Amino acid sequence: MTLLYLILGTVFGFILSRSGAADYGFIQGMFLFTEFQLYGIIAVAVLITAPGIWLIKQRGRTLLGQRLSIEMKPFHGGNLAGGILFGIGWSIAGMCPGPIMVNIGEGKIYALAALAGALVGASLLGWFYSALQRPFGLPPLRVGTGEG
Amino acid sequence: MPLILHGLPPLHWALAGVGIAGITLALLFLANRRLGVSTGFEDICSLVLPLPYFKRAAVTSGRGWRLPLLAGLVLGGFLSALLGGGWQPTWALGLFDQAIGLGPAGKLAWMFVGGLFIGFGTRLAGGCTSGHGIFGLANFELPSLVTTIAFLAAGIVTTQIVYRVLFPLAGL
Repeated sequence: MTLLYLILGTVFGFILSRSGAADYGFIQGMFLFTEFQLYGIIAVAVLITAPGIWLIKQRGRTLLGQRLSIEMKPFHGGNLAGGILFGIGWSIAGMCPGPIMVNIGEGKIYALAALAGALVGASLLGWFYSALQRPFGLPPLRVGTGEG
Repeated sequence: MPLILHGLPPLHWALAGVGIAGITLALLFLANRRLGVSTGFEDICSLVLPLPYFKRAAVTSGRGWRLPLLAGLVLGGFLSALLGGGWQPTWALGLFDQAIGLGPAGKLAWMFVGGLFIGFGTRLAGGCTSGHGIFGLANFELPSLVTTIAFLAAGIVTTQIVYRVLFPLAGL
């Protein structure tokens, strides 16, 4: 299975790299409304994934017959606040989490700094989780904010 | 507009969208996993930080699949560069070089700050573009709709401030 994840990740990375999703200029163009590319990619991806998920749910099992289990994300104040903070970061770096890894692979040296920042940022969230829990109405530690 | 990477022409957006949907559905149908990248940052943190937050089963149980997925993303970027004109380390940053023009040290600082927002924000929100924006929206999850609207809106406001107010570039 490890190989499957590596292969899926590689194909995903290649598409992100070649589509503009991992390109600083295309990200800024999306936010400046001068490039339609990223809106098109996200819209098509969602429009095709939605019926696909529905079909897989109808079957209720994976290809090999394992019972399908999709963990729904919890709803909390961190969705809005975290989304805003992430959007600021996406604009500054011109990368979201997947493309940070892709840009490192492409040889863009500055992406290493974005990864370092992201790891420190995730660590801070982990470090201060109990303090942030009440102001943002976050779920218990065991549940977390949502995997994904 | 060409990519920063070797000035290559980008894939058609519809083709890229279909490809990403294919990856998302393959991950679910073959492996029973919901696509999501940002938890992978927690998986990396969990390898070195002995905090209770990173010892949660939700984090440690995901390492076996998220870490290879992240490694694949790096490999995909590497192959893309290699096949698209050769792999070489670069500082090129397109629009940023034209309008803001910081050198290597400035870029590292800029990107580190951006990364801080990305790491903290995605984990506070419980997901990023992939987990909320693609899978969550496609699965009709309300938290994902809220988060996606929030990050798109914040990205638009921030970029508009950076490129239309602070560092305006003629022709944009």
